[in-house]
Amino acid sequence: MTFDRNARAALADGQLRSALRQATTLFGERRREALATAPDWEGARNRARAIKDETLLHLDRYLEEFSANAERAGARVHWARDAAEACEVIGRIAEQRGARTVVKSKSMTSEEIHLNAALAARGIEPVETDLGEYIVQLAGEAPSHIVAPAIHKTRRQIGALFADKLGIEPSDDVAKLAAAARRALRRRFAEADLGVSGVNFAVAETGTILILENEGNARLTTSLPRTHIALMGIEKVIPRFADLEVFLQLLPRSGTGQVLTAYQSLLTGAKRRAEDEGAAELPIVLLDNGRSGLLAAPVTRQSLACIRCGACLNACPVYRQIGGHAYGSVYPGPIGAVLTPQLFGLGRSSELPYASSLCGACRDVCPVKIDIPALLLHLRAEVVATRAGKPRLLERLAFSAYAAVMARPRLFESVVRLARMLRVMLPLGAWTKWRDLRPLAPRSFREEWRTRLRHEVAR
Amino acid sequence: MIRTADARREILRAIRESLAESAAGGGAAREGPVEPRAAGPGSAVGSTGSADPGAKPRGSTGPAAGASKDVVSSFTERLAAVGAQCTVVRGEAAAAHALADILTDAAARRVVGSDAPLVQRLLSALGDGFVRERLEGLSRDGLFACDAGVTTAQWGIAETGTLVLESAREKNRLLSLVPPIHVALLSSTCLCDSLGDALARMSRASHAITLITGPSRTSDIELTLVVGVHGPQVVHVLLLEEEP
Amino acid sequence: MRVSLFVTCLADQLWPAAAVGAVAVLRRVGCAVEFDERQTCCGQPAFNTGYRPEACSLARRLIEIFESSSADAIVSPSGSCTAMLHHYEPLFEDAGWRARAHAVAERTHELSAFLVNRLGVEDVGASFPGRLTWHDACHGLRDLGIKEEPRRLLRRVRGAELVELPPPGAETCCGFGGTFAVKYPEISVAILDEKVDAIERAGVDAVVSGDASCLMQIGGRLSRRGSSVRALHLAEVLASTP
Repeated sequence: MTFDRNARAALADGQLRSALRQATTLFGERRREALATAPDWEGARNRARAIKDETLLHLDRYLEEFSANAERAGARVHWARDAAEACEVIGRIAEQRGARTVVKSKSMTSEEIHLNAALAARGIEPVETDLGEYIVQLAGEAPSHIVAPAIHKTRRQIGALFADKLGIEPSDDVAKLAAAARRALRRRFAEADLGVSGVNFAVAETGTILILENEGNARLTTSLPRTHIALMGIEKVIPRFADLEVFLQLLPRSGTGQVLTAYQSLLTGAKRRAEDEGAAELPIVLLDNGRSGLLAAPVTRQSLACIRCGACLNACPVYRQIGGHAYGSVYPGPIGAVLTPQLFGLGRSSELPYASSLCGACRDVCPVKIDIPALLLHLRAEVVATRAGKPRLLERLAFSAYAAVMARPRLFESVVRLARMLRVMLPLGAWTKWRDLRPLAPRSFREEWRTRLRHEVAR
Repeated sequence: MIRTADARREILRAIRESLAESAAGGGAAREGPVEPRAAGPGSAVGSTGSADPGAKPRGSTGPAAGASKDVVSSFTERLAAVGAQCTVVRGEAAAAHALADILTDAAARRVVGSDAPLVQRLLSALGDGFVRERLEGLSRDGLFACDAGVTTAQWGIAETGTLVLESAREKNRLLSLVPPIHVALLSSTCLCDSLGDALARMSRASHAITLITGPSRTSDIELTLVVGVHGPQVVHVLLLEEEP
Repeated sequence: MRVSLFVTCLADQLWPAAAVGAVAVLRRVGCAVEFDERQTCCGQPAFNTGYRPEACSLARRLIEIFESSSADAIVSPSGSCTAMLHHYEPLFEDAGWRARAHAVAERTHELSAFLVNRLGVEDVGASFPGRLTWHDACHGLRDLGIKEEPRRLLRRVRGAELVELPPPGAETCCGFGGTFAVKYPEISVAILDEKVDAIERAGVDAVVSGDASCLMQIGGRLSRRGSSVRALHLAEVLASTP
């Protein structure tokens, strides 16, 4: 019921909807333009998916290889079964280093484990440094898009927020707002003891982690503080260094419509000598949090191929209307509607697999060809089979009756004839409140066939 | 208290159990990826299975692309497209002049250079009117106060207009990031055709390799582009062609 | 060529003009059309809502019905229901049923794809004066890859002028989505309104599509908004003669 309520609230918010329409349309156009610059888009998609499939089928081996090579290069690898363990590992490291402030670059995985709350509970202040994340943190909200966290906000709303929180002159000049954030965050970077980043790709062959970004805050986060903690889901590993090429062709084009984002940091272990630049220590936290269970079947396993580009959000007609918050989960949009129930259980998210018209636009734009509609259908069948969420008694009854009627053509015809006489068709209200109902035809096709069309054949 | 060794063992076990379940279940076939397209020859069948994952994509050129006119022009075109500046110079003396001009035009006074010998030589050739900071012993605040950072780049990528900076070669990470202006010196002999070429040539000895494509940017507010958020607003490449 | 009509329950009861039109067009291009009255629903509503056993039992039924026909092809005036038939195979664990599902799916074609790709016909001798726009129904477009076929057919209709929909464009979902339209009617209609806005901006006499389901959704909203634009099935347009 939460999704339904959230969605209605979102639909009633005119500012949100115009922000969403503008942003998702622009993202879509930029993506299409960027695709035109890729020499062999379909080939790249196929190669990337094949690499992901190969990795996932041998995930244990590649994780061990990654871990060994990262540690050989001076990183320290920590394994965390769930969110609590990951927060505990990071929180403990932060405490041991005496950290008061932690600067963070954008990481959906850190959102997934609710790291900010866990750090705050230890008296450590987390500071989001990506502009979008910073806006969302100042507003006390959650990101509403995987790539553009503050996509739901207009410049005017952000101007008012900055005036309130940063004490600047109210402005809707985007450059001024960005400059104000830069100034405020430079102070935080100057005092930060510890940086936390996500990871886009982790190379087993070399123990390298790669972080993509545009602003430079991830570069600051990973090079200024003495300790840089990298947090990654176990599915982020890829086999070879050379595999990065295809993913770097796909991710920026799909995500922001860029040929390449402004920065890629390829980090292999901590710095080697005291006089080098960069973090002196690099703890890497490998998070399972339900992912390993998804390996058990091909249909669910493909969810782990996701590279978090956000293209499916921009393409989704549902997301375009209601935005990310309505999904009530860290991962919104089509990929969120399949990841959330799989990672955190169908119980509290049994509505999400139904939050789609199954149009398939998400599958078309997915750079790694995840068949999201097939996953949605799989999860809907799970919802029904496991009786997750609300009871659905009427629905169950309706589908039993439907199957019984449809298996008997004569009965089917009688039922429809009765409905035609009574001029009813279920379910009425939800349809007719906004749409006229096309009446049942006075004569069905089969009646036309029997009385007229069949004989025309003989003629 | 978490025993991360236990977590490691358990996660690996969970992975192996799931994969075994997938392999064992006749379900593998039943639940196999539903083909996105049902019709037409050569549709998605085997879309994920038949490709050789390690296969090298389309014709990337072999070793040392060198500085053919094509590579240089496509590199400079891409640089312009991503909002970076570029000056092509021949020889160190010309480079020193160009550097002084760039800094003067940008009204940069406090300049900090990396430890690369070329950078040091060019900076010492700068005339008066500049404050040359030394990276060693520079505090974070001191660094934040600099107007321009000068580094070399180890490689350039023609197809994307990208600079590749390797940490093993010089101290380039903060200088290329913190000051509002970044000037990068790049030899035209170090231009690669493609990202794939560059990945193959990068020094894996570096604990940090940074790829830079244009200035720092954000579109986080209404997808409106702002240049120079946390990193430099200006990226200027001094492309050095060898003296004849 | 002998064709067995897969009418679909929706066209049968709600949009018979589409099915009648399909029969007329198929006959006009020289096909002998047969219709097995035992067919009802393909099971898609159950499948799409998660009721797999129910969907499976209806799938078995329809497979048996079409197996009993020796027609050269099974043709349907619905991309969505044709796509459902193509989804039957993975519904079954049993190898025998999978093979049978596969065999039936191979013989089953959506009307426009059948005319253009199988028969090589683009001009079906239709005449329909007016300005038309095409709505790509999602399953036909994305599951079956049908994009150019209906447009080619419509361009050869005498008197008809085909224009593409302005943004968000012909390929964007109309918001129907089966039970989605009644589970989340507000979202469904929000999506629909963007579509209907575009249709009205296009200044057309009719919006044409290949699925009765989308047409019910689009037509129902057009009518509620008091628009004069009609929603028509492709087969209705193709069946029109002077």
